[in-house]
Amino acid sequence: MSAQTAVEKILALKSGKAAVRPGDVVHPDPDFIMIHDGVVMGAKRELDALGITRLAAPDKVLMVTDHDVIYGSARAAERGAYNREAAKAWGVKNFFDVGRGGHGHIFPMECGMLLPGMFYFDNDRHATNAGAIGAFGFRMGTEISRVLATGTNWIVVPKSVKLTIKGKLQPGVHARDLGFRIAALIESGALTEDLDYRVLEYAGDLDQFGLAARAALCSSPTEMRAYGVFVPPSPAILEHARAQAKMPFTPIYADPGAQYEAQCEIDVSTLEPQVATPGGVQNAVNLSQVSGTRVSHAFIGSCGSGMWDDMEQACSVLRGKRIAPQVRLFVAPGSEATMKRLAREGLLQTFIEAGAVMLPPGCGPCNDAVIGPVHSGEVSISTAANNNAGRFGACDAQLYLGSPATVAASAVAGEIIDPRNLQ
Amino acid sequence: MSGEFQWQLAGRCYRLGHNVPHPGGVVPNRIIIGRHFDAKDIIPHLFEETDPGFHTRCKPGDIIVAGKNFGMGPKMNGYIAMQALGLGLVCESMPFLAYRAAIGCGLRVMTDCINATELCETGDELEVDFRNGFFINHTRDIRREYPPIPDSLLELVELGGNTGWLKQWHESRKAAQS
Repeated sequence: MSAQTAVEKILALKSGKAAVRPGDVVHPDPDFIMIHDGVVMGAKRELDALGITRLAAPDKVLMVTDHDVIYGSARAAERGAYNREAAKAWGVKNFFDVGRGGHGHIFPMECGMLLPGMFYFDNDRHATNAGAIGAFGFRMGTEISRVLATGTNWIVVPKSVKLTIKGKLQPGVHARDLGFRIAALIESGALTEDLDYRVLEYAGDLDQFGLAARAALCSSPTEMRAYGVFVPPSPAILEHARAQAKMPFTPIYADPGAQYEAQCEIDVSTLEPQVATPGGVQNAVNLSQVSGTRVSHAFIGSCGSGMWDDMEQACSVLRGKRIAPQVRLFVAPGSEATMKRLAREGLLQTFIEAGAVMLPPGCGPCNDAVIGPVHSGEVSISTAANNNAGRFGACDAQLYLGSPATVAASAVAGEIIDPRNLQ
Repeated sequence: MSGEFQWQLAGRCYRLGHNVPHPGGVVPNRIIIGRHFDAKDIIPHLFEETDPGFHTRCKPGDIIVAGKNFGMGPKMNGYIAMQALGLGLVCESMPFLAYRAAIGCGLRVMTDCINATELCETGDELEVDFRNGFFINHTRDIRREYPPIPDSLLELVELGGNTGWLKQWHESRKAAQS
């Protein structure tokens, strides 16, 4: 049998086949099916209109509440009520309502529900975060209704691109900085021509990256149209997974000699902190090129930067300091578990004393600005998933992206600065 | 499947260039953000910003031949109109989500058709079989074989896309249980 990439092996296993190749159409049997609070109503109404009231596998369904957690509008409150009724009608036991679980692309990896080697369907494109733990999440969009009804849907096996990391990041440089740099190199064609519907599989010096850093490495390629990102689990990741696992799992790795559409490498040992300038993650530059840019809005969180390590790195900058008078800083931890740990270990106090506003675990402003938006002409720096115009508020606001440490430091200084100057 | 579905279309060519975006290039952005999914609401606006009145001139069987990167974005509104008008779509390339959206609307569509736009001009008489990939330009006597719709997706297209497929799936299950 010919060698396969990690994601090909996962798809073959879940589709009951010995092997699959890019271009094959398969119907995998997922380990679970995720749907978030923003799309339950649309899916249920579509199925109800067809007379489909029973789900194929309600026990596999994970309903999460992360997009509009605290109901910023009457419409959101109505949707929340609808979602609760939908969970009941469908018989979904894994319903994570307001204040339970947290961000759907974070808490299942933390608490051992999403494990190495797993495959799942998701309505949302940030399902790519599953690669952080060595799993594969597949975005279905509105077609999640077919998965809910029938238990699966068609998938064309994507091509894979291999990116080898060489060297170690310097202290004070974050995996998110590396993600922005990778996006810029993809945009320029220096790494690979196109990531549309590709899986980006990392290789090389990966043991330096914990779970949060791996989620950060999944984030920017997703914004460059990657359909999946895969980071082969390190011994530390496997140890975490085994300690938290809610069920047995088998990690999957690429075969030696697996075929990739392209193979490239990047030396990270001299990387400086990066900032993505407004318009997209691919607009990454060395932070020094934009230092001094005044900011008034800052946000730490999102699927790319919402885990414990991200919060800790921000706190290491904020400890004993206060944010600048003109800045409002929002912090959305990725999970209820992280929020509790922040309180337990005193980091919540650090955030609050620095002047940050704590938001409930979830997407924060990075979902259609349902909370903490920017206004016209404002300048923001954040760890949001992307900084496309209008991502969280006025289309003419200037949205910069940085690592959690860079955002925290810039909130203190009132302008974009290198976090290594404050730590 | 019934076997009566028309996989072979014969009609006039409507040629487009490269990088035609869904918003603006296929249908006006207001149709997308207005969440119009009913074919009769979308049809008058198909190619409205680049070729007003297109819908009054096209005929069932006509084939849109587009260049690279057609229909950027996972939007489906324009494909709903094309399917309802009985048109076919042949592209040099499409972002995958655009292709998935087109198939999900039940559109007869082929992508990865290398240099297809160099083989025809608007108004040429074309014949395309979406089940076996044959592309024929009768006006210029050119024949090519392109990647067809994969066998495993034929049923989805034949049933009119996602909604039709789910409806059929549900009805067959009900029939099997009764």
